[in-house]
Amino acid sequence: MGNITMGKYRIFLFTVPALLVLGTFFLYPIGLSLRMSFTDFTGVGIANDVGWKNYERIFTRSRYLDALGVTLLFTLIVVTVQTAIGLFFAALLHRLPAVRNLCRAALFLPAMMSFVIVGYVWQFIYSPFDGGLNSLFAAIGLTSWQHNWIGDPDTALYALAFAHVWMFIGYSTAIFLAGYAAIPQELDEAARLEGTSGWQRFRHIEVPLLASSFTINIVLSTIGTLKTFELPFIMTRGGPDGATRTLSLHIIDSLFGKYRFGFASALSIIMLILVVAVTLLQNRVLRAREERVR
Amino acid sequence: MSAGLSRRARSTNALLSLLALLLVALILLPVAYMVMMSFKTGNQIVQDPLGLPTSLYLGNYANALSKMGYVRSVLNSVGITLSVAVLVSFIGALAAYPLARRTNRLARALVMLMALGLATPNFVTITPIYVIFRDIGLLDTYLGLILAFTALNLPLAVFFYTGFIGNIPTELDEAAKLDNCSDFQVFFHVIRPLLGPATATLSLFVMLMVWNDFTYPLLLLTDEDKFTVMISVYRFVGNHNLSPEDLFPAAVLGSLPLLLLFLVFQRRIVSGVTAGAVK
Repeated sequence: MGNITMGKYRIFLFTVPALLVLGTFFLYPIGLSLRMSFTDFTGVGIANDVGWKNYERIFTRSRYLDALGVTLLFTLIVVTVQTAIGLFFAALLHRLPAVRNLCRAALFLPAMMSFVIVGYVWQFIYSPFDGGLNSLFAAIGLTSWQHNWIGDPDTALYALAFAHVWMFIGYSTAIFLAGYAAIPQELDEAARLEGTSGWQRFRHIEVPLLASSFTINIVLSTIGTLKTFELPFIMTRGGPDGATRTLSLHIIDSLFGKYRFGFASALSIIMLILVVAVTLLQNRVLRAREERVR
Repeated sequence: MSAGLSRRARSTNALLSLLALLLVALILLPVAYMVMMSFKTGNQIVQDPLGLPTSLYLGNYANALSKMGYVRSVLNSVGITLSVAVLVSFIGALAAYPLARRTNRLARALVMLMALGLATPNFVTITPIYVIFRDIGLLDTYLGLILAFTALNLPLAVFFYTGFIGNIPTELDEAAKLDNCSDFQVFFHVIRPLLGPATATLSLFVMLMVWNDFTYPLLLLTDEDKFTVMISVYRFVGNHNLSPEDLFPAAVLGSLPLLLLFLVFQRRIVSGVTAGAVK
């Protein structure tokens, strides 16, 4: 009897190496993080138990609540704009088989670059001194549009979000195009015969049938954006005036030089809860939406 | 009538194609800007910030190459990237086999674990990993960095292979089992030889992630001789008073290997990322 059960589960021995790696470098660290988050551990010496103090600090100091707000706003902007632009390009390229593959590959190119390099290049593009964007405005006579894009707290977060979206337009476009490829052609042709306009077909046939592409795009870009670190780290260091200080920037700042491991752990746990809660919620809402449109 | 309509449709199409190409070119402008700027002298940048370089000035590159330890960091990145790709594909494919062939509670629990791993940002585990590595002597070692990256990319690999193996007909497994093959023999002799295309795509994806990652090497490495390319770029360009003569050649040098890889494998990379995401 015991042998039969063993036989049924023996195939799961294949997962042992993966479980060892994930247990040691993923699950155990999360547990350790949780434990450290209730201490004042500084990396050396004894970690004193401080109860909920680290969490209290996060939820009572405006700088951490602001970071939470900045992170969520940044994610909202990026996810919305990136999904919209990706859908636009996919709708356009779906109708143009002659240039589709070329454009899809070209749009993907920025995603091959590191956040570090994208951050540097866009930092110079936005620079008030000889930066590409302001020089462009000067060249076409729009001097009044010149602006210190990442030096102004009102525009800095949007400027960073724009650079982030620029990087990943190709991802969203490719995912939507894969969704388009799954739409049966007869459906489009039937609607065409009934004399519907291109916009009507887009709005009432294509968008509903792309529901699962929306889900994938939104969930993936949310996961990728909630942890945003490199762009603000490289471009603004969280400034000006905390306008681009994200949660992950706070985590790294608490580690580097300050060695506040306990506090950094508490921030990490908040981030984990945030990511899991948001993606679960999105998954539920978007999957329900998929069912409805079907 | 219908011929006239189709001619009109055709010219609309040509116009739209032109529009699409223009928009795509506009989006690639920052990449062209990066390359163009890297060939300009400091003087040229001040006097004509948008103009094409007057000559192919290579001084910026000579300076960057001599100061940023480029070759050494490329070798480090290549070594780390390839090690991670090999480990992730091997361990990931192994773990995916039972998950693709079983649907019991244990399989579902493991899939949930992988999903959690996929969604969890590395910032959640970076503090404890730093502490663990320090305690067991993995800080500032290649091995530590490779293990950290392997754990980070493993959930994706497992999902990727699970989808791929799921499409391999189970009749193949059953036929081999009738010949008295064990699960292990079935995996190594029947499944593994079919995984080539999946492994190629996954490896490209892992290379992209590892080569471009900044956080792990920033936190886990201090020895200059072990720096990856992105850390070398960061150390060379710095954080204050950006100098375009340093920034742009370093940016081009840092992205060049992956841009070349993309030119060769763009079809596989784009379709792989899409397939990975859609599953």
